[in-house]
Amino acid sequence: MNTREMSQSIHEQIVTLLPRLRRFARNLTRNPHDADDVVQIAVERALTRLDQWRSGARLDSWMFKIVRNAWIDELRSRGRRGKVFLAAEAGENIGTDSMARETELLSVQSAMARLPEDQREAVSLVLVEGLPYREAAEVLDVPIGTLTSRLARGREALQALLGTEGEGT
Amino acid sequence: MTISDETLMAYADGELDAAERAAVESAMREDPQIEARVAAHRTLRRKVQSAYSAELSEDVPERLLAAARGVESTRSKVVNLWDARAAMERGGSRARPLRPQWRTAGTIAASLIAGVGLGFFMWGHSEPPLMRSAGGALVARGQLAQALSNQLAAEQSHTSPVQIGVSFRAKSGDYCRTFALSGAVSPSGLACRHGGEWQIQSLTQEPGTAGDSGYRTAGSTISEAILQSVERQIAGEPLDQAGERAARQRSWAAVDR
Repeated sequence: MNTREMSQSIHEQIVTLLPRLRRFARNLTRNPHDADDVVQIAVERALTRLDQWRSGARLDSWMFKIVRNAWIDELRSRGRRGKVFLAAEAGENIGTDSMARETELLSVQSAMARLPEDQREAVSLVLVEGLPYREAAEVLDVPIGTLTSRLARGREALQALLGTEGEGT
Repeated sequence: MTISDETLMAYADGELDAAERAAVESAMREDPQIEARVAAHRTLRRKVQSAYSAELSEDVPERLLAAARGVESTRSKVVNLWDARAAMERGGSRARPLRPQWRTAGTIAASLIAGVGLGFFMWGHSEPPLMRSAGGALVARGQLAQALSNQLAAEQSHTSPVQIGVSFRAKSGDYCRTFALSGAVSPSGLACRHGGEWQIQSLTQEPGTAGDSGYRTAGSTISEAILQSVERQIAGEPLDQAGERAARQRSWAAVDR
């Protein structure tokens, strides 16, 4: 496969990933506008760094990692400029069908928005995006044990917030 | 037998191997509480998944689609300096001011020309020029020329305003090096040593990823467009660290073929 063919298919693969990248970015940033900006930065970065994508590596994990790093950079630069950012209670503007369904969705998403960042990232990658633990740990640059403990704590917090303890039998 | 909650969670997430699964399943049969805990993990997983599934069917904004496909249209837009200069002479004007905001593919071509015309953005204002026109060619000057002559990719500081990328010997025998500059749009380029000068072969800029500050530090990566220029010119493999050092030793003088 030559460079052109490879990058050709990567463009289309990235297009396919965009909905998931946006979703992940929203969970990171808790703000849909920031999320889209971060996704755009990440996509542009990824395309200039295709040489750094290890062949055989999952494109989604690689892109999630670039999205996350773009957000970290953004937070750093906001921090340097002393700006206050984002309302913690975002994620409440996603439309749904029925009232009952809406209530449940909002409660999951606002519960997510209340999680500490490290737990929210872990839950987002594993439960929302469906990454295996190993991939999620790789995205977050942490050992797998750290990932599982963040995930466990995040789940526990979500269960407490959603009141699903013991439910589902 | 006690089983940690993390193990039950991993079971619910399908992360255990066959032996571990069997152990959890046997514990679940014996202890309804364990079974309930696993069920709670599964319920939560399902609940979270379904709460986020609607987002996948939302329309993706055009600018993101353009960004993902954008390189298709920008890739061929390596500036040919002769064309760029001709365009500038025809237009007789300085290019439009840079927009630090998101730039769509359609405006990239214009801003590429702008890059050349403005004498490299912020650099032109406060620093000695980095390039000048000499005998029909654009040659590196000042800090850019110094970096091209002296800086080794393996040893350069990340904070250096000029970042050297790949160094290689071209089919012509000349040594060439890619570089990236700090600036609003992080221009990158390819320069070849010829006639005692670093002649700029091509220049391009990353589509605008500048933040509000409008300033990016020089990237360690070079754009795909420049890489393609490299591919067209390179003879053999890029120089490794020793090769770079040896070439510097001989002042990047062309090698007889």
